[in-house]
Amino acid sequence: MDLKGVPCPMNFVKVKLKLETMDSGEKLEIVLDDGEPVKNVSVSLKDEGHRMLKVERSGECWKVLVEKK
Amino acid sequence: MKRRRIKLDLDALRKGGILKQRQKDYFILRTRIPGGRLDADLLPRFMMIAKKYGKGYVHLSTRQCIEIAWIHIEDLDKAIKELKRAGIARGACGPRSRNIVACPGSSVCRFGFSDTEKFAVKLDKKFFGKDVPKKFKIAVSGCMNSCSKPQENDIGFLAQGEPEVDLDKCISCTLCAKVCEEVCSRGKREPAIIMDGKKRPVYRKENCFFEGDCVRICPVSAWKIKRTGYAVFLGGKIGRFPMLGYKVAEFVQENDVHAIINKTIELYRAIAKKGERFGDAINRTGIEEARKKVL
Repeated sequence: MDLKGVPCPMNFVKVKLKLETMDSGEKLEIVLDDGEPVKNVSVSLKDEGHRMLKVERSGECWKVLVEKK
Repeated sequence: MKRRRIKLDLDALRKGGILKQRQKDYFILRTRIPGGRLDADLLPRFMMIAKKYGKGYVHLSTRQCIEIAWIHIEDLDKAIKELKRAGIARGACGPRSRNIVACPGSSVCRFGFSDTEKFAVKLDKKFFGKDVPKKFKIAVSGCMNSCSKPQENDIGFLAQGEPEVDLDKCISCTLCAKVCEEVCSRGKREPAIIMDGKKRPVYRKENCFFEGDCVRICPVSAWKIKRTGYAVFLGGKIGRFPMLGYKVAEFVQENDVHAIINKTIELYRAIAKKGERFGDAINRTGIEEARKKVL
């Protein structure tokens, strides 16, 4: 899921809606901008109880791999 | 209608938070709300008294108090009795310790390390309305964001949290180092968290601001709070000649706060001239001396 250029909190809302269509244990990779987007979205996903498998720098952006709760 | 003349002991009234207005024969009732936490059931009672005796409005003070203005001298006694019946606590003015202010704290705020409202209510029972040379203000803040401004009170408590990392949980995302670098560069320090050659965080406590950003950001909860406590600030004030308080201690535990405030008030009484604020007094006598006396 490419969320480059999508500002907070819409980026998180989009991830949340996507996760709702998925089954528990399924994985989703998202691409986020540096700065507030990677910080806010990672924290929000953690706070909602999803498992964060990977958060890594990828050029100007960040790749996040999350496993649905 | 002709009003009766009434004799009043103004000093005695000031002790209980009654302020003379600029208008002849009118007074302001200052109430107090420790920690800024006000039971919703009390709110209508403020309104009722403001409508019955004042002009139908209240003023919210900067010390989290509600003030009811326009109480006529002939209604003063009745209004005060009504306050008491309503269960509303009276504030202070003149040379006394004031309402203890607090941010919302950890009960609701995601930054807070301590339940500041609850703590302020506890401190109020012990330290409100003490006689001092000028005035004495206490504030409690749940984190370094300092929403209740502990640095501008005569004594301020700022909750802090020391982090520790469980490397087994770490996924080497580097976000902790990133947020740490941001706060430390604003605070003009080297980062407290740096990544080693294997992209593992290394914690350098001496640079830490204990604000907890690493704990909040960590996506896998590898960072945890190891211990909490309060940083203590002395001598802050605003007024005509503002100054921020001096930080004299870190990670003070709640149980030790009572003794520190007691000693601070004792010291204030001992060193200050009449009408002098604590900050001005310790600037004359020395902050090191003050630190030794209160800790």
